[in-house]
Amino acid sequence: MSTNDLKTEQGNAVEPLLPIEKKLIGYSLGLGIVLLVILVTINHLFPLKL
Amino acid sequence: MSDIAVRSAEGAVAKGSLTEDWLAVVIGVLVFALALFSLGGTDLLGWAVSTSVYTDVSTALAPIAKGYAALGGLGALLATYASLLVVLTAGVAALGGDVKRFVLAFSVVFAIAYASWIVGSYAYVAAVTPAEQQKFGISWSLKLTNEGGFIVALASGLVIGNFFPRLAEWLKEAIRPELYIKVAIVILGATIAVTAAGRLNLASAVLLRGVAAIVEAYLIYWSVVYFVARKWFGFSREWSVPLASGISICGVAAAIATGGAIRARPSVPILVSSLVVVFAVVEILILPFLAQTFLWQEPLVAGAWMGLAIKTDGAAVAGGGITESLIMAKAAAEGIKYQSGWILATTATVKVFIDIFIGIWAFILGYIWTNHITPRADKAKVSEIWERFPKFILGFVVVFGISLWLATGTTPEIAKALPAAAGEANVFRVIFFILTFFSIGVLSDFRKLWQDGFAKLAAVYVVSLFGFVIWVGLLISWLFFSGIKPPLAS
Repeated sequence: MSTNDLKTEQGNAVEPLLPIEKKLIGYSLGLGIVLLVILVTINHLFPLKL
Repeated sequence: MSDIAVRSAEGAVAKGSLTEDWLAVVIGVLVFALALFSLGGTDLLGWAVSTSVYTDVSTALAPIAKGYAALGGLGALLATYASLLVVLTAGVAALGGDVKRFVLAFSVVFAIAYASWIVGSYAYVAAVTPAEQQKFGISWSLKLTNEGGFIVALASGLVIGNFFPRLAEWLKEAIRPELYIKVAIVILGATIAVTAAGRLNLASAVLLRGVAAIVEAYLIYWSVVYFVARKWFGFSREWSVPLASGISICGVAAAIATGGAIRARPSVPILVSSLVVVFAVVEILILPFLAQTFLWQEPLVAGAWMGLAIKTDGAAVAGGGITESLIMAKAAAEGIKYQSGWILATTATVKVFIDIFIGIWAFILGYIWTNHITPRADKAKVSEIWERFPKFILGFVVVFGISLWLATGTTPEIAKALPAAAGEANVFRVIFFILTFFSIGVLSDFRKLWQDGFAKLAAVYVVSLFGFVIWVGLLISWLFFSGIKPPLAS
């Protein structure tokens, strides 16, 4: 094990983002924001009563 | 790259008959089961050593139970060391480790780590309130609480890891932070259940809010960090996946699980893991003190923040422990005395929720990679979800479930005796925390940040962590936990 792999990596040509990667990023982020909004709304509508 | 870090990371994915995860379950459940004997009047763990704040070191140590007072502090310390040595040596033998080296290395690790803990309990370090200072006859203190010993243990490890590399290398067989913290988390299940049983509605609210942590870590953090690594820093897919997982989810385990899922070369997630540990140390040294200063009036926000912002299970849960001590000390100085356990329970809950989905997320990535990005014969299989599931969580759930049932579903006598039993198990949880802090310190070789190639990797980490992860974690913790306070101590 050495850092050679890492040095080699940085000398390689940049791999462009594939459409499926863009989909993965976009869908994940979109779904995450929607779910968070839903959870925040639930949290707001049903606040914890101590 | 530190060989110790490599070995430690490889240990997390050992493919032998017994993994560190299962070993953590066995040891954690064993401690819990022995503690439960006290419910029937047989105290099997009362000899374990506990440390009090002191000015005269000869008064610092004592057995946890008065029934074992004859042992004395030193006797209790030796008994605790011997029992841990026997159990852990058997475990390391089952893992296929070097038993002879482990025995020697663990003896030194335990000695330095527990000595650090004792130093942290010195009144000038630990005393918090003016009343405590008066009790010990001192005019000032660092006010770190006795859990400041965790910071001392971390600092001791950092000194060894960075200035005494030969000693660090010699200790490596016993430098197992992942094993130690997993045992601690399994044992923590009992303490959390006892804490939760007192206020079930608050506990269920904390659990429900743990769902938000999953959404945040996997869907928001991961996608943004992956984009930053790929688009802004030009890393390949093979590097970007473990890097995004390490920064977003839970450090070492996630980097290795997702790296394996996309069929990355084994060296890639291991190199990423070594960086995760270094940054986790930086976070432990900064975030709990920020939380004490700015979030002491919102204790559960602080607890959730530690779980969301600090990567690696060990650092996060340990950071939650320090945060709890610091915030409770600050609140006590203001005349507010919270029940202990709630802040740490919030951190642990958030972290456990995040861990549960590692296997599923690794499978999703593996499916996309092996079918669409680099199609290959050995496609991702559903069985990998179970293979990559962090099994120590099962131990935590079992211990939590049994403890909660004993606290709420049995006789009042058992429910009344349970906190003492959980308290005895908790002594070992604290010791495994100390070992975790020390081990993380030893693994954190800051010199690697200046090695060729690491600077760009570290730059992704710095940009993502300090530019995004910490602050989004704080925002979401605030949205879900602000205004929720731990119960006051009676």
